[in-house]
Amino acid sequence: MADELQKDPMSRGQFLYLGAVGTGMGIVLTVPPVIYVLDPAIKSVLQGRSDVPSEWKELGSVYEIPAEEPTVHLVEFAQRQTFDAGQPGAVREGDNVGTITNAVLVSWKDGRLPSLLEGRSEEEPLSSAEIEELTRELNVMNNACTHMGCPVRWRAEEKEILCPCHGGIYDINGMHTGGPPPHGLWNYTFEIREDGAIRVKHDMHVKEAPREKPYIV
Amino acid sequence: MIARTKARTRQWGRDLADWMEERTGLLSIAEKLLYEPTPKRGKWLYTLGSATLFLITLQFLTGILLLFYYVPSTDEAWDSIYYIMNEAYFGQYIRGIHFWSANVLLLVIGLHMVTTFLSGSYKPPREMNWVVGVFLILIVTILAFTGYALRWDMEGFYAWEVGMKIASYMPLIGDWMVTFLLGGDTAGPATLSRVFAIHVWLLPAALAPLIGLHLYLLRKHGEFGAAFEYSERLAKLRRRRQMREYLEEEEDEKRATGGE
Repeated sequence: MADELQKDPMSRGQFLYLGAVGTGMGIVLTVPPVIYVLDPAIKSVLQGRSDVPSEWKELGSVYEIPAEEPTVHLVEFAQRQTFDAGQPGAVREGDNVGTITNAVLVSWKDGRLPSLLEGRSEEEPLSSAEIEELTRELNVMNNACTHMGCPVRWRAEEKEILCPCHGGIYDINGMHTGGPPPHGLWNYTFEIREDGAIRVKHDMHVKEAPREKPYIV
Repeated sequence: MIARTKARTRQWGRDLADWMEERTGLLSIAEKLLYEPTPKRGKWLYTLGSATLFLITLQFLTGILLLFYYVPSTDEAWDSIYYIMNEAYFGQYIRGIHFWSANVLLLVIGLHMVTTFLSGSYKPPREMNWVVGVFLILIVTILAFTGYALRWDMEGFYAWEVGMKIASYMPLIGDWMVTFLLGGDTAGPATLSRVFAIHVWLLPAALAPLIGLHLYLLRKHGEFGAAFEYSERLAKLRRRRQMREYLEEEEDEKRATGGE
C-alpha cells in the first residue's frame, strides 16, 4: 500500500540524506572563503585589535605650543597589516615595517597659555601636579574631519579650524561649532613627561560618541 | 581590368564566408546575435545599450593592458601609473582610453537607464531585465570608484577615505563594512590590495554573467515598442472594438424587436 502511494522515486530518507550532504558541502564551500575575506573585520570588530600597536610616540614639547593657535605635528606610527603580521623575520629595523603618518593638532585650551609655563625655564622639571594641570589644559587632536575624514586646517583670521570639503567648523579646542560634522575632532591619548615632552598613542576618542571609531589613517 | 579584379575579390570573399559557414555556422550565429528588430521611432536611442556594451568591452581590454605595468602596492602604485603615462610606449593612449571610456561609460549607462525609464521599457514582462540593469549600473559605479582609488594619489586616497566614512554610517554593519574594505582599522597596503582585488577580479566576475543575463532577457522579450509589438496590440484593440460593436448591435436589434 505504502509503495503504491509512493509516487516520487526518491524516499524520505534519501531526500534527507541528500539535503544533509548538500548543506554540508554548501557550508564547506562558502563559510571558509567568507571568513577568509572578513579576517580583518573579525579581528578589528570582534576582537578589538588594531593595525597600529599601542605604543607611545614622541610628538614635541609643551614649550613649543604657542598661545592662540594650534600647531601641526607629524607623528609616524608603526602599522601592521597583512604584509607584516608579526611573522618571523618580517619585522626588521627600518625594513619591511609599515608606517602611517598622522597630522596631530595641538593647542592650549581656549588658546590660553597656562600661567605656570610663562617665563619658566625648560630645564626645570615639571612636578606631577603641574603635569596634571597641563594635561587638563592641552588639546591633542587628529586633523581628520569627523564628517568625511578630510584634513582640516587652522584659519588664523577667523580663529577656527575649517574643513575644506564640506565646511565643517571647529573651535581651537576641536569642538564642533558649525557645518555637517557629527561631533568634535578626535582626541589622542597622550601624556606629558617631566621634561615637558608630549607623547601620544594611536588611540583616539571623543566625548560625544564614546562607541564610535575614527577609521582614519 | 579593375572591374574583373573587384568581382573576383568579391567572389573569394563569398567563398571564404561560405566555407566558414559550412564548417562553423559562424555567420548564422553572428546574424542571430547582431540583428534585433527595433521600432522606427527612437532610432539612435536604441544604440545606447550597444554603446554601453562596447565601452565595457573597451574597459576590459585596456584594463588587461594596464595590468602589465600597474603594481598594486602603496609604495609603487602611483609610480607605476607615472611610468605608464610617461615612459611606456602608448601608455598614455591606453590609460587615456581606460580613463575616458570609464567616464563616458557612466554617462552612456545613465542615459540608457533614463531612456529605458522614460519609454516604459521596464514594464511587464521586462521587469527582471530592469532589475538586472540596476545591478549592472551599481557594479559599474563601484568599479569607477575603486578604479579612482587604485591611483593611490591624494585625490584617489581621500575619495576612498570619504567613501569609507560614508560606509561607516551604515546601520548595524557599518564597522564590518569599513574594516572589510580597509583590510584593518587603518588605511594601508592591505586596503590597496583589497581595492585591487575588488576592481580587477570580483566586480568584473560579477559583471560578465549579469551582462549575459541582460542580453538574454533582451533577446527573449525583444526591444520594447518594436513594430511587431505595436501590431499585436493594435490587432487586439481592433478585435475588442469589433466585439463591442457586434454586442451593441445585437443589443439594439433585441431592443428593436421588443426583446423577443
